[in-house]
Amino acid sequence: MKYVAIIRQVPDGESKIKTDGGRVNLEGATLILDQMDEYAVEEIIRLKEANGGEAVVVAFGPERTEEAMRTALAMGADRGVLVTAEGYVDPVTQAGALAKVLAEEAPDVVFTGGQQADWDSQALGPAVAEALGWPSITWTTAFELGDGHAKATHDLDEGAEVVRVVLPAVFTTQQGLNEPRYPTLPGIMKAKKKEIKKIAAAELGVSGSKVEIVEQEIMELERKQKIIDGTKDPAAAAAELVKLLHEEAKVL
Amino acid sequence: MALDFSLTDEQKQLQQLARRFAREQVAPRAAEYDQNEQVPWELVEQLYEIGLLNISVPEEAGGLGLGLVEEVIIGEELGWADMGFYTIPMASELGITPILIAGTEEQKRRFLGPLTERPSLAAFALSEPGNGSDAAALRTRIVREGDEYVITGTKMWISNAKEADFNVVFATFDPALRHKGVIAIVVENDREGVSFNKIHGKMGQRAAPTYEIIYDDVRVPVENRLGEEGAGFKIAMLTLDKTRIPVAAGSVGVARRALDESAKYALEREAFGRPIADFQAIQFKLAEMKMGLETARIYTYYAAWLADRNDPEHISASAIAKAYASEMAFYAANEAIQIHGGYGYVNDFPVEKLLRDVKLNQIYEGTNEIQRIIIARNILKALK
Repeated sequence: MKYVAIIRQVPDGESKIKTDGGRVNLEGATLILDQMDEYAVEEIIRLKEANGGEAVVVAFGPERTEEAMRTALAMGADRGVLVTAEGYVDPVTQAGALAKVLAEEAPDVVFTGGQQADWDSQALGPAVAEALGWPSITWTTAFELGDGHAKATHDLDEGAEVVRVVLPAVFTTQQGLNEPRYPTLPGIMKAKKKEIKKIAAAELGVSGSKVEIVEQEIMELERKQKIIDGTKDPAAAAAELVKLLHEEAKVL
Repeated sequence: MALDFSLTDEQKQLQQLARRFAREQVAPRAAEYDQNEQVPWELVEQLYEIGLLNISVPEEAGGLGLGLVEEVIIGEELGWADMGFYTIPMASELGITPILIAGTEEQKRRFLGPLTERPSLAAFALSEPGNGSDAAALRTRIVREGDEYVITGTKMWISNAKEADFNVVFATFDPALRHKGVIAIVVENDREGVSFNKIHGKMGQRAAPTYEIIYDDVRVPVENRLGEEGAGFKIAMLTLDKTRIPVAAGSVGVARRALDESAKYALEREAFGRPIADFQAIQFKLAEMKMGLETARIYTYYAAWLADRNDPEHISASAIAKAYASEMAFYAANEAIQIHGGYGYVNDFPVEKLLRDVKLNQIYEGTNEIQRIIIARNILKALK
């Protein structure tokens, strides 16, 4: 059996992100393995530990993605394949390149993050499945491997459904799927010796992007710091507070 | 072109791992462990799981055999989250180091091997109720009887003493010989006649357990002795020459936390209609903290780098790093409280704990006064 996790390297949620000339500037930001992809990596390592076989991480991204890939290898994945391309590439184009790698790897199960923390598209998993003609199950919260098929719980807006799906198939992760482990220090030292195969996107016949980002802006959260004077008429002040919480803050 | 301040890729990943563990697992629970004076054993277990405990145990004994640069990387991150917690793995390395320095291959495997097989600690027992800085004045007696030694005496201020598998004990076979009469010996905690009293009421670092140990006619095989009879004092000093570097690293972590908290608060807190960060009085404090932090960090790395290369210059450098970083961090913690005003004085904010914790960094593993003596001796020795 072979299990693949498709990963991305994204800015740490704690990093302060800046825009520069209408573009996000990642200089100085800490870049990490996408936390939604961590569930994918954890799941394929568990599958390998329980059933044997191989756990492979695959990524599409700039050269620096290798760092996130090393983290996945330090968690326990066996090897990596990195399709390199600099700059923004839309998920459908990415999926075209990744599908070629996956067609060759021929895994039984593919996991990837339910969404991507950088250019939040939620499209990568389904687009990869589409490109391969494989079924896709999104927002997976539970997974059970069977013989030639798998049983998965798929999150819905107001509930969940359990599906049975023929393999190979692509699954996207949701919180609750598992509790991702930390990499370990011995794992970090071993990861150094694990193979990462790099392929330029152009070698797979993929270049450019169907979508181009023209401008990016960061949502600014502004504190209004409205203070209601409660010293004169507390009852009126309380009524005003409730009204503001209801109508402006919309929390009541 | 030899000068190079960069970390290797693995060291960067180690830093990222330690930072994440510190932020996600240690920092959120630090206040609770401090208030309850409770040993965070579950964190020790987690530290073991991710491979950050007892990292200096050599490969021959089943460990990773890492050096002080790696220990310093971990120390800054854990010190940032909770200096009290960091003292636990730090003091374990203090117990391991004399065995690395003076142990035979067989002793390394016998004593250090088990430390890699499960969450477990080592400890170092030098101080006594009546001796601290004057380490050669120790009174714990050791008498040889056939193939055994018999140890009697009391050790004081010993971190991890009871939680550890063993304490490396320093005892004298002839007090009149002062430092030439000392033996270093590994005493397992399960030997008959060993008992512990936990020390309560510490000002800070309350998560780290500290004990008085009583050895009452404890019999230990001769094979547990490290080095020769009379070499014990030298072994203790060679150990501390290295292990005070992680004290500096923890201090750097405390100072970084003090600055992080202060800068964040200064941007949020308003006075006279604008954030207090707009005032030079606050800016100067932040700048001073940053100057201390950066200089202490780079010097701590330098001392660790010297020690890992076995350059004798590390003796003075480790003393400078320890004294400088702990004083800089105490200053930073003090200023952090000042910037927070009244809020800094209560435990709703994490800064008062920084000050209580880092006070100890000026005292343990050789007081800062002793560090100055070491530094001065090294200046004068070069001229004699």
